Amino acid sequence: MKNYDLITPEGTNDILFKECIVRRNLEKSVSELFYMRGYNEIITPALEFFDLFNLNSRHFPQEDLYKMVDRKGRLLVLRPDSTMPIARVTATRLREASLPLRLCYNQYAYNISPVMRGRSDQIEQAGIELIGSSEKTADLEVIETAVSVLQECSCGEFSLEIGDIGFFRELMNQLDVDDAMKETIRDLIESKNYPSLNDVLDSIGDNNITKALKMLPRLFGTEEVFEKASKLFSDEKTDRILENLKQLYKDLSRLDHNGRITVDLGMVNRTDYYTGVIIKGYIEGSGDPVLAGGRYDKLISEFGYDVPATGFAVDIDAVAKIKIKKENVRMRKTDTIVYACEGCEMSAVLKARELRNRGKIVEMAVSYDLAEVRKYAQEFGISEIVTVNE
Amino acid sequence: MSKPLRIALTKGRLEKDTVGLLESLGFDCTAVHEKGRKLILSIPDANLEVVLAKAADVITYVDRGVCDMGVVGKDTIMEMPGKFFEIVNLGFGRCKFALAAKKGTDFYAGFGVKTIATKYPCVARTFFEAKGMDVEIVKIEGSVELAPLLELSDGIVDIVETGTTLKENGLEVIEDIAPVSARLIVNTVSMKMRQHEIEDLIEKIESRIS
Repeated sequence: MKNYDLITPEGTNDILFKECIVRRNLEKSVSELFYMRGYNEIITPALEFFDLFNLNSRHFPQEDLYKMVDRKGRLLVLRPDSTMPIARVTATRLREASLPLRLCYNQYAYNISPVMRGRSDQIEQAGIELIGSSEKTADLEVIETAVSVLQECSCGEFSLEIGDIGFFRELMNQLDVDDAMKETIRDLIESKNYPSLNDVLDSIGDNNITKALKMLPRLFGTEEVFEKASKLFSDEKTDRILENLKQLYKDLSRLDHNGRITVDLGMVNRTDYYTGVIIKGYIEGSGDPVLAGGRYDKLISEFGYDVPATGFAVDIDAVAKIKIKKENVRMRKTDTIVYACEGCEMSAVLKARELRNRGKIVEMAVSYDLAEVRKYAQEFGISEIVTVNE
Repeated sequence: MSKPLRIALTKGRLEKDTVGLLESLGFDCTAVHEKGRKLILSIPDANLEVVLAKAADVITYVDRGVCDMGVVGKDTIMEMPGKFFEIVNLGFGRCKFALAAKKGTDFYAGFGVKTIATKYPCVARTFFEAKGMDVEIVKIEGSVELAPLLELSDGIVDIVETGTTLKENGLEVIEDIAPVSARLIVNTVSMKMRQHEIEDLIEKIESRIS
């Protein structure tokens, strides 16, 4: 039988030294941004029931989930996302808590990624959920936080993109096709597959809606997008959605940061529990978006508690991988080695404690051979050796 | 000038067709013609850096964002779906995916499980899944046409251009699966971070090929 005792499973790896420092610093500074805005941390189990991720609007493809069974034979998964568990907690233990709730987390999400593409199956995510308000101020608060997080995460350029799933939904509501066709159209818009989208929409017919849907994936960029969109399609609902988004865009331009704010009306995600404003964040050096989120007003009601919410998560792994390349990370250096002569070991331990109380980083020598200890100190650039002989 | 946009081209015919397209837009592709054994070449007046790779690798490079754009056949995209934008149908490299079997046999007859030989297991699986058909798929690396002749399989799923190879080996197309042609794909982050440069190029290409 083949033994797999020297390697880690596909999609996982050990994280050592400097990588840990970068990661911990990042977690700390991102959490600090959350705490400064009144968010409180929650931790949910890595193991959850499969059912939590497999109902109506919260469909996660089962082939992407790590699964196992509990002692009663029920299907469990390693959580692929933290928003569902938080929605569950909100609808249960936090049901009587006064609103709004400001929750933050920093934990792993798991999914089975395509083989051999160099992507992780275990992804550390930090995020917030603001629960209990459907007001514009809530959107603004969450997006301002996202911009601050991107600023903290990026070592170069970054950009935050806003959109509104409502615009696409309104168009689709007025299009007379079955659900399978709707999914095809959504998928082609998401992948900005202009040629196939045109073919599919041509087969449906030529009207205002299909014309607008054809252009939808091209509607991204800066301010000019709003004008193009309003020319493409106009009714009471879509006009209001565009007006709100435009105002949000203007408001965000008043934030002081060195990134870009952009808009994309063709953002139409698959796992779609989003109902309103959605956001994505990009930083230089990452081939995938590092931040994603948005408003999900109907999700928690699926757990029996009708309350609006919005939030986002940032991929700590992706950011840490870029930071380790671009930042000069320093490991903490030992100041002193305490060397114990035979018989004086405990005195040496006490001496080391005393030195640490004075703020020094102190190692104990684990050899009685002083020459060896000196060699070790030299190799690691430790300037002081304290000998304890009484 | 900003750092060049990196475009991965599928080595071989798609590479030549793409270079032809870029030249017709007025860009000087001398470096690509005189490449020798180099794998990264520059087209300075288009501010492009060309990377030559195998089809599947073009997808990997664009998916991971180490190349901003890529030119690759729809066949490879169907076999290796990824996260990228599939922006332009370039029109060249046209062929199709088809199901073929020995001439004169009724492929769908009988209740037995069919065996399919293919270089594209994912495409074959998806095609039969949509029909609700449970088939056995055998991955073949070389000439797939051999499999039914050696009676390893009942049929093949493969790329068909003219159909000559099928004909000469006593096979015929049972059903077309999907048309194939070269596509320009773009990394999702590059599309946003370098929107203007990429859109400029796309516009030029679109107006050229339409």
